[in-house]
Amino acid sequence: MTSFQPADLKLLGDLIQERFGLTFEGVRQDILGSRLRPRLRELRLDSPRAYYEYLRFHPRGDAEFDRLPALITNNETYFFRETRQFEILIEHVLPERRPAAPSRPLRLLSAGCSSGEEPYSLAIALHDAGLPPAARSWEIDACDLNPERIARAREALYDETSLRACDPESRRRYFSVEGGRFRLKDRYRVGVRFFQSNLLAPGFALDRPYDVILCRNLLIYFGDAAFDRLIGLFASALVPGGYLFLGHSESLFDRDTELLPVVVGGSVVYRKTAKP
Amino acid sequence: MTSLLTAPAHRLAALEAAARVPGGEQHILAALEDTAPSVRERAIRLAARYVEPAVLGELVADGENAVRRNAGLSALERQGPYAVPHLVAVLDRDDPELLLFALQSLSRIGFGSAGLAILPLLSHPDPNVAQAAIEAVGKLRVREAVPALCGLLQRDLWIQLAAIAALGEIGHPAAVAPLMAFVPDSVLAEPAVQALRRIAAPESLEPLLPLLLTVRERALRDPLLLAVAVVIELHPDPEGPASGVARDMEANGGDLVVYLGQLLTAVPEDGDAEEAESLLRAAATLVAATGLAELHPVLLARLSADPVARWIEGLLARFPERLAPRLHALLTHADPDVRCGALRVGSFGPGDLPLLVEHLSDPRLAVRTAACLALGRMGLDPVAPLLLERLRRGEPPEQAAAAQGLARLSPEALRELDGCLEPGMAEPVVVEALAVLTRTTVPALEPRVLQLAESPSAAVRLAALRAAARFTAAKAEVVLLRALADRHQPIQTEALELLVRRGGDRAVTMLVAMLGTADSLRFHVIRALGHCRAPSAASRLRSLYPECGPLEQLQIVWSLLRIAPPWLSEFLLLRLVDQDLDMRRAAAQGLSEVACFDHLPVLLAMAEDPDWDIRNSAARGLGRLGGAEARTALLTLARDVESVVAATARAALELPTRDASPSAV
Ligand SMILES: C[S@@+](CC[C@H](N)C(=O)[O-])C[C@H]1O[C@@H](n2cnc3c(N)ncnc32)[C@H](O)[C@@H]1O
Repeated sequence: MTSFQPADLKLLGDLIQERFGLTFEGVRQDILGSRLRPRLRELRLDSPRAYYEYLRFHPRGDAEFDRLPALITNNETYFFRETRQFEILIEHVLPERRPAAPSRPLRLLSAGCSSGEEPYSLAIALHDAGLPPAARSWEIDACDLNPERIARAREALYDETSLRACDPESRRRYFSVEGGRFRLKDRYRVGVRFFQSNLLAPGFALDRPYDVILCRNLLIYFGDAAFDRLIGLFASALVPGGYLFLGHSESLFDRDTELLPVVVGGSVVYRKTAKP
Repeated sequence: MTSLLTAPAHRLAALEAAARVPGGEQHILAALEDTAPSVRERAIRLAARYVEPAVLGELVADGENAVRRNAGLSALERQGPYAVPHLVAVLDRDDPELLLFALQSLSRIGFGSAGLAILPLLSHPDPNVAQAAIEAVGKLRVREAVPALCGLLQRDLWIQLAAIAALGEIGHPAAVAPLMAFVPDSVLAEPAVQALRRIAAPESLEPLLPLLLTVRERALRDPLLLAVAVVIELHPDPEGPASGVARDMEANGGDLVVYLGQLLTAVPEDGDAEEAESLLRAAATLVAATGLAELHPVLLARLSADPVARWIEGLLARFPERLAPRLHALLTHADPDVRCGALRVGSFGPGDLPLLVEHLSDPRLAVRTAACLALGRMGLDPVAPLLLERLRRGEPPEQAAAAQGLARLSPEALRELDGCLEPGMAEPVVVEALAVLTRTTVPALEPRVLQLAESPSAAVRLAALRAAARFTAAKAEVVLLRALADRHQPIQTEALELLVRRGGDRAVTMLVAMLGTADSLRFHVIRALGHCRAPSAASRLRSLYPECGPLEQLQIVWSLLRIAPPWLSEFLLLRLVDQDLDMRRAAAQGLSEVACFDHLPVLLAMAEDPDWDIRNSAARGLGRLGGAEARTALLTLARDVESVVAATARAALELPTRDASPSAV
């Protein structure tokens, strides 16, 4: 197996970073190479450079761009991942946000939702807190770059690995067993809306303001410029006083932004300054 | 919607604009202290490229401001060889902190020629400086430091530790004896063994091996085993020393056998997977090299049961003598995994035939499959009927194994394959039988193969085409050419590749004729002509160039690069001034491969190009040319804002220097 030229991988990596924000610099370059090798073989292309040229100039290049996310994204996720954050949301954030907007539902966004475990965990937490969606008290939007993941999210049928943090009691309450897999019960699916989108697509904007945004375990894969752009996007999409939740290894430390760290329930979350 | 550009993005843009104009240095230096990491990171790259090492050195010397100091240091390191003379000069200074920084930077830059300047600091009175110097000669693998480092092995603990590690990194066999003195009865035994593992000198095998019998604590036994395994791997003839210890192991190595057995059966858990895998490999190496009979079944069972343990085959093949005397016993072992493993690794002769045949009806599929493979490896024509029977009636893995075995037999023995190609045969049988014929040519079966190339099944057509490509006759070529118009695109492209591999004027003529049709296959045809290295296609490709879209144009450049017509560099020079950046990049890459001394000015201009990829090609081309002017340009490229370019330039600088006279090119 011949190894790929670093310059060829960079050329392709830069294109991917520009389109999707995902960075494959340094050691991650090799990951990019090994993820794409089978696809290159399929297309009978000799090098990442040839693939770059294919993406840019082949009549089927756009279609290829659409299938790229499925090849290069890490979609790892599971129900109630970092469960403390859901508690903080219910115990601290909701009581603060609800009086602020009494006449409309609270709006929550799960950005980079993968196959839906995160937004559904949110829906379950809200249900359990006595807030069913029928009361129009909340709406959850959830988006991801990878269309194949969004399709799975809509199907809401999960394997054991997605339930690794669920005890037997929650398995029984929230899921029904179907051919050895787990189907999320319908009542928890109501009020969650999925859409496929690239948060970094040129001109992309979130079309409504949100009270809470969860963007967890996505920014770690982003380069600096994409990171800053995405934070800018969230800052403008949050209502004043709205909250951003990040994954435990992500932070806005040292970043220039109007989202300020606040300690809530013992954890750091980010809050948009309250002045409109 | 409001703008997505946040303040750091604005500052980044401003920095970028200011950096390259006169006076930009101040802007860069200020940005080294920016609050946003993205701005700081960019400023470091720009500082490496546009700020002189002496100025950066001052930032580093300023002990007051840690942010600036770190940024200055990172920038100096990015300058690589360009900063080396400056850093070497700093080694004469007195300030220990400065010395530390210089040593650390030098070792991270990794430019070996700086190593000698560090030697005097190895015994510096400040222990921190001495330690940093020791680490640096290790990282830079300065062989001249070995005697001095051996001398330091008697000093205090931290120095000893650093010296041991450095000796390991340098990897000189002269260090074996002094390091062995620490094993096994010293607090430094473990690091010493780690160093011996890195050195992996053959002379360490004999003293290390017996220690495995006496040392029992895992903390030292594990590293010892790992070291022994590496030494065995790299040893030209490990069997001699291994035999001696093998006898001791049989006699009184009970505890060692238990230990190795545990390692060979360990199931890696998430946390320690890598460690367990290295120990597994090391234990296997020791068992294979010493021929420890008790553990052969364990090793073979692991080979069969663990899908990622194929490497055990290669390992055992290196020591065939060790396994051979026990093969029969292993083939009749009660555990099917052991039988399967023995079939996979054994080498068999005609006398073993009855035993192997028995395994063809083993209840376990894996054993039957391994038996097919073993029969095949014998390469004896009389086994053909047995393998043919498995090909017809076996399960898919047996069929594939039988096909693999059949491919080693003579064309005469394979005439019987005809029966598997008859109409009405199941598709997998036909496809596997054809696979045999892609590896061995059987002239008698040519008509049948060519006929199958017209089969309604795409899988059969594809397999038949591959087999047909082996026949030299014109008829086979016609079949391949016809497949270029197959209704399945994958078959078209496969046919193209097969034609390319056959070579030959007829195929080239046909391919050149196909260039006239602007369809989706043309891109592949252009590519194929490159792979054929067909000189007769070059001028047609050139004349086609203006009519094509960008993807085909780029492919024309790549193909011409392979064909290398005499006018290639002229053609590339024209493309180098193209409007399109990707075309310029392709041309630059091409020139980097073919440029001769006359093109030096072009390469020097490329080295200043705003595009990193073109600068990267310049670095490669300049490295090829060599000479004083090229070196100067490479030193600048070695501190390029893009790491890839800097790395290419550094690699080019390390190439042996060539004479720059035109005749040398
Ligand atoms: C590791 S998953 C995290 C899932 C979930 N948030 C969690 O924490 O468990 C990251 C997801 O981000 C998505 N993603 C990556 N780049 C994206 C982009 N530019 N726009 C939208 N989603 C993206 C990936 O497809 C992937 O599903």
